[in-house]
Amino acid sequence: MIIILTVGIPRGLLYYRYETLWKEFFNNLNVKYIISDNSNFKILKDGKNKCIDEACLSLKLFIGHVISLKDKCDCIFIPRIYSLEKTEQVCTNFNCLYDLIHNLFPDLKIINYNIDVKRKNTEIKAFINLGKQLGFNKKDTIKAYKMAKEKENIKQTYIQNSAEHKLSSNKKKILLLGHPYNLNDNLIGKTVSNYLSKNNIEIIYSYELPKKYINEYYKKISPKVHWTMNKELLSAFMYYKDKVDGVIVLTAFPCGPDSLTNEMILRKKGKSKVLLLTFEELSSDVAVITRLESFIDMIEGCVYA
Amino acid sequence: MNGYLGVDIGSISTKAVVIDDNKKIIASSYIWTEGNPIKAVKKVLNNIKEQLEDKNICIIGVGTTGSARKLIGTMIGANSIKNEITAHAIGTLSLHKNVRTIIEIGGQDSKIILLEDGIVTDYAMNTLCAAGTGSFLSSQSKRLGVNVEDFGTIALESKHPTNVAARCTVFAESDLVHKIQMGYKKEDIIAGLCYSVASNYLNNVAKGKKIKSPIIFQGGVSKNIGVKKAFEQILKEKIITDENGHLMGALGSAILSMNNKLKEPFSFKISDSNFETNAQECNKCPNHCEIIIVKKDGKKLDAWGNRCDNGKIAT
Repeated sequence: MIIILTVGIPRGLLYYRYETLWKEFFNNLNVKYIISDNSNFKILKDGKNKCIDEACLSLKLFIGHVISLKDKCDCIFIPRIYSLEKTEQVCTNFNCLYDLIHNLFPDLKIINYNIDVKRKNTEIKAFINLGKQLGFNKKDTIKAYKMAKEKENIKQTYIQNSAEHKLSSNKKKILLLGHPYNLNDNLIGKTVSNYLSKNNIEIIYSYELPKKYINEYYKKISPKVHWTMNKELLSAFMYYKDKVDGVIVLTAFPCGPDSLTNEMILRKKGKSKVLLLTFEELSSDVAVITRLESFIDMIEGCVYA
Repeated sequence: MNGYLGVDIGSISTKAVVIDDNKKIIASSYIWTEGNPIKAVKKVLNNIKEQLEDKNICIIGVGTTGSARKLIGTMIGANSIKNEITAHAIGTLSLHKNVRTIIEIGGQDSKIILLEDGIVTDYAMNTLCAAGTGSFLSSQSKRLGVNVEDFGTIALESKHPTNVAARCTVFAESDLVHKIQMGYKKEDIIAGLCYSVASNYLNNVAKGKKIKSPIIFQGGVSKNIGVKKAFEQILKEKIITDENGHLMGALGSAILSMNNKLKEPFSFKISDSNFETNAQECNKCPNHCEIIIVKKDGKKLDAWGNRCDNGKIAT
C-alpha cells in the first residue's frame, strides 16, 4: 500500500461543486491536501499551451491548475463523473478528465473516483474506492464520507437560505447564471461579480437555488434535459427570472451543453431582461464592462432624462 | 450661451457634437479614427472650434462614449464617460421620442436596442464575432475594387441579388471569390452582400427579439442605402434613417454631460497639449496585467488596466 503525503486539488471545474465535501473528507481522514491558487494569466497560458484549441476555456484553466500543482504535491485528485442521475449525463469533459490528464502527464500520479449512477456506481461507492487508494479501510472511509456529507448539506442549506433572504433586499437584484466553475473563477465570473458588487447590486448565483426546485422548474421549459448541470441552470432561471431585476448568463466558450440551454433561455425569457456574456481568452475586460455598464443602466432605468 | 460637447470615439470613425441648452446641435464633426484616437480627437476638436469661432459659446460639460471613451474622457476631462448603448438610446430619444427599435451597425460592433416609453427594455450586442459589421463590408469592398461608400448605390442597380454566405467573414470571402469566378454581375454580388449583412444581423444580434416600429437605423452602415433596403424587404417595415444618424452616440453623451451636475468650463487649448499613451506589463504577480498610462505633456494623467492594487500607478 502506498502512503500518500500530500494531495493536490486543482481549483477548477468540479472543485467548485464539491469543495466542502472534498475538504471535509480529507480533513476527517487527516489527509494533507493543497489547493492551487486562484486562476491567473499564467495558469491560463500554461493550460492553453498544453490543451487542444477546441477545448472550453474552463478546461484550459483546469489543465493550467494541474500544471501549477504537479511539482508541489505527491498526487493529484481528479475524479471522473459520468452520470449523477439515472437518465442523465454530465458534460463529456467530466467523463474524460482523468484520462485526459493521464495522457498529458503520464508520470503524474492521480487518485480518483468514478461516479456513474447509470451503471450503479454511486457516490458512496466512489468514496470507498477513493479511501482504498489512500490506504484507509472501508469503515473509516464511510464514516469520513458521512460526516463530510453532513457538513456539505449544512453549508448548502445555509447558502440556499441566504439566497432566499437576498430576494427580499431593497437593492437591484441580478441572477448570475452559469456553472459554478465559471461564476467563481478569478478570471471569468469574478470580473462580473466584482463589477456588480461595486455598483451596489445584489447578486444571486444560480447554484444557490434550493435543492427541492432543481427537479421541478426546468420542466416549464423542456420536459427532459439530458445534461444534469444544465438542468440545474434552467431550473434556476425559471425559478428566479421573475423575482430578480435582470439575469446575466455567463458562458465559457465553447460549451456544448450551454449553447443548447442558452438558446432555450433566450427563447423562453419572456419579459425578463437577459444579458448573455461569452468568455473567451480575452486579455482585457473592456468589452465585458461595456456590456455590464449598459445592462445596469437598463435595469436601473433612471439615466433617461 | 452654454454649450455641451459630446465625443464618440469608435473603432472606425470619431464623431463630435456641440449642443446648446435646448439639445440642439450647433456644431458637429465626423472623421476617420485611423487607428489613432488621440490624433482623431484633436482633429475633431479643431473642426468644432472653427465652427464655433463667430458664435459666443462657452462649453461647460464634456461627455465621451465609444470604445476609446475612457482614454479620451481622461484626456479631455469629461464629466460623463458612458457606454455606447446608453449614449445611443439617449441621443436617439431626444430626436425621436416614440422610437421602439434602434438598429445600430458600426465598424466592429453591432447592436440592437429596444425601447418602450422612452426606457431601454432590452438590448443585445454582437458577441465574439464581427461578421456582418462595417469592417466586413469594407474588407469585401477592397476585394471587389469598389469604394465602400458607393456600395449602396451600386446595390440598388441590381435586379437579382446573389446569395452570399455571410455567416463568417472568412467563408463569405471564399464564397465571394467563387461567385466572381462564376461570372456573376458585380452589382448583384454587392446587393447580395448588403442583403446578407441585414439577414446576418437579424439572425445573430437581433435573434429572438421582437422588432417593433418605429425602427431607426444608425451607425456607419446606415449610410449604405443597400443595407437599408434589405432591412425593409426582410422586416416589411419602414426603416427610418437620419442624416444625423451617425452622430447619435455623440449627441447622447453631450446630453449625459448636460445632465451631470458637476460641470467645468472646457478649453480647446487641450488640443495643443501633447498626449502620449504607454502600455506596460506589470510583473508583480502572475496575472501580468497590461497597464495603460496616459501622459499629458510628459506628466502622468491617469493609468488603468490593473486587476489588483499591486499594479496601481501613482498619478
